[in-house]
Amino acid sequence: MTKKHANWSPYDNNGGSCVAIAGADYCVIAADTRMSTGYNILTRDYSKISQLADKAVMASSGFQADVKALQKALSAKHLIYQHQHNKQMSCPAMAQLLSNTLYYKRFFPYYAFNVLGGLDNEGKGCVFTYDAVGSYERVGYSAQGSGSTLIIPFLDNQLKSPSPLLLPAKDAVTPLSETEAIDLVKTVFASATERDIYTGDKVEIVILNASGMRREYMELRKD
Amino acid sequence: MSSIFEYNGSALVAMVGKNCFAIASDRRLGVQLQTIATDFQRIFKIHHKLFIALSGLATDAQTLYQRLVFRHKLYQLREERDMKPETFASLVSALLYEKRFGPYFCQPVIAGLGDEDKPFICTMDAIGAKELAKDFVVAGTASESLYGACESMFKPDMEPEELFETISQALLASVDRDCLSGWGGHVYVVTPTEVKERILKGRMD
Amino acid sequence: MKLDTTGLESLPTLIAPQNDVVGDLSAAPSFDLPNSNDFDGFVKEAIQMVKPAKGTTTLAFIFKEGVMVAADSRASMGGYISSQSVKKIIEINPYMLGTMAGGAADCQFWHRNLGIKCRLHELANKRRISVTGASKLLANILYSYRGMGLSVGTMIAGWDETGPGLYYVDSEGGRLKGTRFSVGSGSPYAYGVLDNGYRYDLSVEEAAELARRAIYHATFRDGASGGVASVYYVGPNGWKKLSGDDVGELHYHYYPVTPSTVEQEMVEATGA
Repeated sequence: MTKKHANWSPYDNNGGSCVAIAGADYCVIAADTRMSTGYNILTRDYSKISQLADKAVMASSGFQADVKALQKALSAKHLIYQHQHNKQMSCPAMAQLLSNTLYYKRFFPYYAFNVLGGLDNEGKGCVFTYDAVGSYERVGYSAQGSGSTLIIPFLDNQLKSPSPLLLPAKDAVTPLSETEAIDLVKTVFASATERDIYTGDKVEIVILNASGMRREYMELRKD
Repeated sequence: MSSIFEYNGSALVAMVGKNCFAIASDRRLGVQLQTIATDFQRIFKIHHKLFIALSGLATDAQTLYQRLVFRHKLYQLREERDMKPETFASLVSALLYEKRFGPYFCQPVIAGLGDEDKPFICTMDAIGAKELAKDFVVAGTASESLYGACESMFKPDMEPEELFETISQALLASVDRDCLSGWGGHVYVVTPTEVKERILKGRMD
Repeated sequence: MKLDTTGLESLPTLIAPQNDVVGDLSAAPSFDLPNSNDFDGFVKEAIQMVKPAKGTTTLAFIFKEGVMVAADSRASMGGYISSQSVKKIIEINPYMLGTMAGGAADCQFWHRNLGIKCRLHELANKRRISVTGASKLLANILYSYRGMGLSVGTMIAGWDETGPGLYYVDSEGGRLKGTRFSVGSGSPYAYGVLDNGYRYDLSVEEAAELARRAIYHATFRDGASGGVASVYYVGPNGWKKLSGDDVGELHYHYYPVTPSTVEQEMVEATGA
């Protein structure tokens, strides 16, 4: 017999913000490194970014225990994929896998808000944004997590990319160069840190392009 | 969205520039998700150098405005001068605190030019706790978006034209991420010599 | 020949009793359930925490030339707009479309699932599935999950051997055949325009304009609808996207701003 739990709450919110921007031949994925619970900071140096495949990187905020479980599930599935197909999964394929993985927990969701960034088969930058139960969408840029409501309006203003649903279609590629995109990411994190208590300490920026992957860090406010 | 503060929807922002200020609002009046009017006034002129904008429940905003005008007119008759923004902010605060246990569901934004035309902006909660700021203040259902936009776009000591551009961009960017506000914008830019009022075209969805 | 009757089975086939972190990777994926006595309450609370996208306007109607399907593109969480570019018209196969209202993930996943089932039907029977059949397949799946908190309000529109077909299917198990539907928070506004302008003998252009106008008016009045008004047409040769208009621009197209005499007024401030 299962024990009766009066108020069983298996979730916590560890906060944090994630941003991803896709360019013509690059993709920038960034997240702060603060992990909190309530008003407490658990650590100032926790990476929310995980590399799922050569050209697919995921940044996740929400409940980090669920995030860790999700990352493990995905990397296990990716390992099997590599054994079966002898190649790395493409970013759009990983996007679909992530969606299904999230949806199969529809009745006991992962409390994780993800953005997946990478390069597609043509080498173009791609960003996929998710809700916690797996609905997803390919976009030019995205922000998730506690600071997303502060970040998104500014990105809208700066990157105003035409909707992919328009017909006749307009080119939706982010007009920024790689360095401009990185600077923009630094600006939005500095701004979000001013007003969101769950965002701060340090921002970790992962840049994917034709020559591979590289990491950058920038210090943020620590209060 | 069940909060009474979010019943009608609103977005307010005020910014300080160099010897000037700007105050802006959206134009929607809704009942929850249903849009009723797209020419609603939330910014009110107290005198040529003093404006108040009231976010939150529309009926309380209008009532509060009428009481404020009444009190300001009495002040003018007695003192034969306009109220200073600091004084006015205290008046609003006192009026709000009178209703401590049954408050007006409004968060005001006050902006004006004080002594020697020094810009003054402030906001307060529904029961009158003043919050003075040197850069910008925001209120309403789009306040989170506004904080993000203003925090990234604001620069100190802007000239009136640049200030207008900045506050308009911040307002429109923010209300486009809020269901309950938008449908155009209303901006006042106030300098010691003139008041410029502009209506902004915005997304009507 | 074996018929795929999985859609007709009364119990969800995808629910497994237990699942560890990674699960049995070789087995077919299945739904993980919380080990809670109050399943209903738990799912409700959990879903409240992750706040799925709600608020939509979608519509579809049958007319002389086929079926017209249209939708907005906004996703909102409470008052916050989480996306302005959601694809709410889902392309199930070249002859069938589904619309999305309610939980975004629920709709996306089960339409994808329906797409698979339709393709399998095609391979097994050497002919395309009827709209009736496809909608019943979806309705039966949703019915099998009834009471578990799925939130789906969809229209299945398509063209089959019997001509145009249109069904409304929801997560409460409802399935209605009809010629005119609108689903979502903006539907009352869309119905107003649609019912007023609808005739069976509309041309394709007229029908597309009616659909677009209905979506536009819904986005204007409904705070939870907006973005891009997409219009699809399903005819004898399958579906085709006719238009995708940003309603932010559509408004000024329908109601151009006439430069008024006094748009700006300079007021001389009198010294205090």
